[in-house]
Amino acid sequence: MDTEKVIKLEHVTKRFPVGEGEFTALNDINLEFAKGEFAGLVGPSGSGKTTLLNIIGSLDSPTEGKANIMGRNISELTHKESAHLRNIHIGFIFQVFNLLPVYTVYENVEFALLLQKKTASERKKAVMEALEWVGLTSMANKKPAKLSGGEGQRVAIARAMVKRPDILLADEPTANLDAKNAHAVLKTMKDLNKELKTTFLFSTHDEKVMAYLDRIVHLEDGSVKEDEIITHQNTEL
Amino acid sequence: MKLAFQIAYKNLMGAGLRTWLNVAVLSFAFVMIIFFNGLMDGWNQEASRDSIAWEYGQGQLLHENYDPYDPFSLEEGHGVLPSAIANEFESILIQQGSIYPDGRMLSVQLKGINLDQNTLKIPTPILKNSEADIPVLIGKRMAETTKLKEGDEVLLRWRDINGTFDAANLTIAGVFDSNVGTIDNGQLWMPLKKLQSMTGLDNQVTLGIAKKESNYAAIGGWKFQSKETLLKNLSDIIATKKISSSIFYLMLLAISLLALFDTQVLSIFRRQKEIGTFIALGMTRQQVVGLFTVEGSMYSLFAIVLGAAYGTPMLWLLAKTGIPIPAASQDAGVAISDTMYPVYGFGLIAITILLIIIAATIVSFLPATKIAKLNPVNALKGKIQ
Ligand SMILES: Nc1ncnc2c1ncn2[C@@H]1O[C@H](COP(=O)(O)OP(=O)(O)OP(=O)(O)O)[C@@H](O)[C@H]1O
Ligand SMILES: [Mg+2]
Repeated sequence: MDTEKVIKLEHVTKRFPVGEGEFTALNDINLEFAKGEFAGLVGPSGSGKTTLLNIIGSLDSPTEGKANIMGRNISELTHKESAHLRNIHIGFIFQVFNLLPVYTVYENVEFALLLQKKTASERKKAVMEALEWVGLTSMANKKPAKLSGGEGQRVAIARAMVKRPDILLADEPTANLDAKNAHAVLKTMKDLNKELKTTFLFSTHDEKVMAYLDRIVHLEDGSVKEDEIITHQNTEL
Repeated sequence: MKLAFQIAYKNLMGAGLRTWLNVAVLSFAFVMIIFFNGLMDGWNQEASRDSIAWEYGQGQLLHENYDPYDPFSLEEGHGVLPSAIANEFESILIQQGSIYPDGRMLSVQLKGINLDQNTLKIPTPILKNSEADIPVLIGKRMAETTKLKEGDEVLLRWRDINGTFDAANLTIAGVFDSNVGTIDNGQLWMPLKKLQSMTGLDNQVTLGIAKKESNYAAIGGWKFQSKETLLKNLSDIIATKKISSSIFYLMLLAISLLALFDTQVLSIFRRQKEIGTFIALGMTRQQVVGLFTVEGSMYSLFAIVLGAAYGTPMLWLLAKTGIPIPAASQDAGVAISDTMYPVYGFGLIAITILLIIIAATIVSFLPATKIAKLNPVNALKGKIQ
């Protein structure tokens, strides 16, 4: 099953209306990602990384072409179906964590499971496990405002991973972290990738992130410039 | 839905002062609506009770020529009550006259009433026990305007059946205290037999007060006004007053709803990223709209709980001690006492609660519909205008 393609992009093009005309943010993207990949979109600012992640996450849809996520063409989904797709199959991690401020760490992580209508005992087990993955069991009752940047991003990882999604999309997850925290967070994600076979897709300019990736897709002006498979000499990763 | 309530609850608790400000204003409107309407309802109930006790009885049978709003009709508007039903009614004869307290002339209505009656609260035993030739009872308002008190004598002029003027001194046998102004202002109550003989109208009566509740449909020469008909006028007057007094609390309600609307618009604007996050986590837009609507209507639930917390003891106390009514408003045209006791019915409270919840929900829903058209990508970027 490891060859299963969880993401299939065919001729994906995205244009935004700008003033009178249009701006092409993505131009004829053809990419596939298999289950369990640890890949990244890399490119200069404005190259279309976030736009592509949003399409894969079905928060946006392509102007042309087909984006098949978990076997579903996202352009054909209703609001409800795409919400369901995100809820069950896709986890998001944002540059600015986007934790819900009035919720405790525990409740932030629990949220997606509430939407899935999991029972209280199922939720508790999954949340505690997710907090263990990121080493934050002791912070369960804190509010996000009381956390450091690294802790906040780890909560965001726990929140995205608690439902064991097939795909995890992380848009510049380390941009607001110092080197030490960035490495800790990346290590956690790599471990989860190995353990749960979740497909990770990053967007980044960060060298530290690139060092962890198994595959780097270089984007420039909305096109794929290079699709590079990395073989790590360094076995510690 | 349960989830929406949980989230909304947490958000409101997290929002702190602003939440409580909205809740406080809304709860004040809630308590005021109940108080003012309770006051009017209490007035209506008391006025009805007093009017029945002092004036209406269980209905009135009027002579067909008598029009209560036209004093000139008194001249012709009397007759002998049909014997078949005569003992079911308390006979009242009304005639015109004038008195001269301190030399000023004052037009009055002379009202003859049976001394043994116990249909109306007019204290007729006082008349019965009086030794005076023409004993008369007056109400406290009449006593005030004429400066007459118990034991005083004053000159009375009236016309008999032939139109001839007569004059004699009457004696104030007593002053009664009633909330019903219409049986007090300008009225002299005296023994029926006396009035009939003074005017030469033996056995004649202007109207009968029903002793028991019954439906007297058609009685030749007389028209029956049921208790309900008579009370309806009273309720109508109070209903009118209810509307004018509603301006105050409706404005209060409008202000609190406006504040709530404003809070909603602001919170949707400020919490775009949160909305985007909700959608990214797999909520549908409709669910998010529901969430914000529930959050807004939850203000009303808090307001009701808060309002109940301080309103219950406050309103209970006011209902017990009553509200003193300034003498100036005593000319209300409706029975009104010195102290009004509000009555808070179950219906009033239930309707007010419903009104507050529905109004708050609508006001919260309207701004939230904006979320349904939201692009989650822009929301996550915080880019909505
Ligand atoms: N809603 C929009 N309307 C118009 N143009 C847009 C919109 N969203 C993105 N763009 C444009 O599309 C291009 C790609 O944007 P995107 O955010 O995907 O870049 P990025 O690679 O993520 O950049 P960064 O590294 O700065 O995050 C940019 O030039 C951007 O200005
Ligand atoms: Mg970006």
